[in-house]
Order: sequence, then C-alpha cells, then structure tokens
Amino acid sequence: MKKYVMVHDENLCIGCQGCSVACRNENNVPDGVYRLQVHMKMSGTFPRLKTDFIRQSCVMCEESPCVTVCPTGASFKTDNGITLVDERLCVSCKYCLLACPYDARFVDPITKAIGKCTFCFQNRLSAGKEPACVTVCPTDALVFGDVNDENSEVSKLIAKKNVEYPKAHLNTKPSLGFIKNTKGGRYE
Amino acid sequence: MNNMWGSMAQYDAIYWPWPIAVYLFLAGLSAGSIMVSLIVKWNKHPDNTNSIWDAMVRAGAVIGPVAICVGLLLLIIDLGKPLSFYWLLITYNIKSVMSIGVLCLLLYTPFTFLFAMMIFEKEIEQYKALAVLRPLTKAIRSFAHIAKDIEYILFVLAICVGMYTGFLLGAIEKIPLWNTPILPILFLVSGFSSGIAANILIGMAFFKGSLNKESIKYLLVLDLRAIMFEIPLLIILFLGLYLGGSSEFATTALTDSLYGKVFWIGVVLVGLFVPIIIAATALKNHAYKPLFIVINSLVVLVGVVILRYYVVYAGQVL
Repeated sequence: MKKYVMVHDENLCIGCQGCSVACRNENNVPDGVYRLQVHMKMSGTFPRLKTDFIRQSCVMCEESPCVTVCPTGASFKTDNGITLVDERLCVSCKYCLLACPYDARFVDPITKAIGKCTFCFQNRLSAGKEPACVTVCPTDALVFGDVNDENSEVSKLIAKKNVEYPKAHLNTKPSLGFIKNTKGGRYE
Repeated sequence: MNNMWGSMAQYDAIYWPWPIAVYLFLAGLSAGSIMVSLIVKWNKHPDNTNSIWDAMVRAGAVIGPVAICVGLLLLIIDLGKPLSFYWLLITYNIKSVMSIGVLCLLLYTPFTFLFAMMIFEKEIEQYKALAVLRPLTKAIRSFAHIAKDIEYILFVLAICVGMYTGFLLGAIEKIPLWNTPILPILFLVSGFSSGIAANILIGMAFFKGSLNKESIKYLLVLDLRAIMFEIPLLIILFLGLYLGGSSEFATTALTDSLYGKVFWIGVVLVGLFVPIIIAATALKNHAYKPLFIVINSLVVLVGVVILRYYVVYAGQVL
C-alpha cells in the first residue's frame, strides 16, 4: 500500500507562489479562496532579518479531525492516506472547517461544498503524475512520493534530514512535513 | 489585502454565525421547556388541574415542538447546501457528534409533538381548526396505558438534546472555549432555566387559569437554583481554561473590548445577577407581582441567548 507524503523544504523555498498558481490552474480553484498558500513571515531586526516561507495547505492527517466530525461521511480518507471531500454528500455544515487545526479548508463559493488540497488526487495522482505544485516548483523545495517505498526520493529525504510535522502535539499525524528554515540573519 | 500570497479572508471567516447561536438557544429552550413541563406534570396534584401548574404543562407542550422546529429550520437554512440536508438523515457517521445529534433530534422532535397532542387532546376534540388531528389523537388514546413511559422517554431525549449541543461544540479541539467538558452541563442547566422562564411567560399569557402564588414561587425558586448552579459552572469553565493551558485565551475572552463586555454585561449581569436580585428583593416573602415575574423571565431568557451568542462568537473570533 502506498502512503503519499509531501515535504516542504523551507530552505529551498523562495516564496515565488508558483505552486499556488499551479494549484489554482490545475484544480480550477475559484477566486478569493485557496487550497494552497505560501505565507511569508519576516522576523528579527534590521539588518539581521530572516524571512520564512510557510506552506499553508491540508497536511493530510492520518487521524483527521475533519473526517471524524463529518456527519455524512463526505470527508473521507483514501487507502493511501489522502483526505478528500465527496461534494455530493457534503451538506456544507462547516463542522470540518471548525475542526481542522490547520485551517486547510474553505467553502467553495461556487459549489458551496467544502474545498481543500487533494494532492491533485483525481486529476494527476490517479494518472501517475505528481501534484501540480510539486512539478512546477523551480527550486525543488517540494518533494512528494510514497513513504513506504524505501527508494523513493521522499523516503531518502526523510531519512537524511530533520523533517518536522506541524502541530505534532495534536497527534493528528500529518503527511505533510517541513524542513525548517535555518537561513537568514537571526535564528530562533 | 496586499499579501503576495493573496486573500486571507478564508482563514478568519465566521463559519458558524448567528443562526447557530439562536439554534443552540432554541434547542436548549425546547429541551428545558419539555423537562419543566414534565417535572411539573409529575408533581402536580390531581385537585389542582386548573391552576398555574396546568398552564406550565401546556406552555411546555407548545414551546417544546415549536422551538425545536424553528431551530432546526435555522440549522438547515444555515447549511451551505440547504437542499442537500437530507444526506444528514440518510448517511450517518457515528463518531460525529452532529450525527448523534441528528439521531437524538429525529426521535425527540416527533415525541414533542406526541406530547403536545396528549396534553391538548381536549382542545383537538373541541376546535374545528384542529379536526384534522382527531384520528391521530384517537390512535394515541389507544396507547394511553403507556403514556407515562412516553413521558419518561421524552424526558431522557430532552436531556440528550439539551446536552448534545454542548458536545457538538466540545468536539472542536481547536477552540479552547468550546473544547471543555463543562459546556454540555452548562448548556443543559441554562436551557433548563430558559425553559422555566419561557413556560412562565407563555403560561401566564395564554393558559392563565387561576394564577397561584405558591406554585409560581416554586418555579421561580427552581429557576433561581438553576441560575445559582450556572455561576459555579461558568467559574469552572474559565478556571479550566486558565489551568488547562489556555490562560491567554481565557484572559482575552474576559477582557476583549466587545466579547468581554458581552460576557460581563450580558451573561453575568443581565442573565445571572438581575434575576437573583429580583428573586431576593421583589419576590421575597411571597410578594407575588406579575410584573416582576415577567421581567425576571425576560432577563433570564435574554441572558441565555447572550450566553449562546457569546460562546459561539467568542470561540470563533478570539
């Protein structure tokens, strides 16, 4: 069984928003809402400044609060660990939006169903292609693959580098990891 | 919004707005009214049928079904896809408090109507406008020997409805104000208190009968007890936040320029202290005055609405 994992290396990210644009383009994300954003956070005092680029999207928890609270089962997990929304079953009660600790969900202004990152499951992954954001990243800051396959790029990266998972204390076991930024004028 | 990454609107929208707060109030009110109505009915003396007791029972039988139906309507309207609401009735996720709530409501709502028809059996026979219901009351009559059991079931269901709303919010771990074990009991108690207030108001307005000083005092004392019970619950709620690692949130929730005022003025002053002051002064020594009772009931109701509003909004905004 494959288990898809994505790692965002914040040292390589340059905040170009190419991933975000690719995501919107690939998935026809309506105006005003985002499946994926890369936030820029500046810290320190001049001239010792540091800029972090932080990916904001679904982290594909193994223990997803959004799936637990969903009353109709519209929020569900695939066998390979991807959390998806069945738009037909979704009544848009927004319970999952409130339950998600990562603020990764939104109300689609057109369908009124709940929208989120899908790792491009329907349109790319099922055809054997990587998610759109991964393919366009100019610095290869995004690495995606099957963590159960020892030879995959993502497995090698996880073995080599210190990958952190957001809000680990919540025990939701995310499948989106981060390599924290160590560059810039001030370390925290 | 000038961020290079685009609009942040989706992250700070209020996803459960006022209809949810009002629903939480109405569900508590419905459950509370039914519980009060049943308690009064069980304690009623047979020689006392045309008194305020009777009015309380009848008021509860009206408020119960009406409040829950209005509440459910609000709930459906608030859905992003209101016309798809039937999926909530077809598909269930037993791990979801919302699904459990739907199941409770699915049983509770028809039982409130059943209760209303049991209480208003005579009226249905009497008035032409209600003639359509006559075959139904006849059918119900044939089950008269289990009427008491139906009342017990209804009482348990009312407790479920009164509490599940607290669990519904409690399941959201992200929001400290909601994610507390006190919320279900706080909602049940405040719902009970609003039920007493509403039953007194509706009972006095529509089913007067002969107003009995003694009996209305009994209800006001019951209400006072519920309110007295709410105070420690609120203290425990915030104490829990302070000690449970959300002290920053608790401080904000109590001192915020808007929500802090809503809490202290709306919930504490209007909802708790004014009724206590009225009970301690105006209604002391059996000095039964309708005006004070009406005021007392109104402030209790307003306080309970504000409590729900405060919990729903402060939880999401702060």
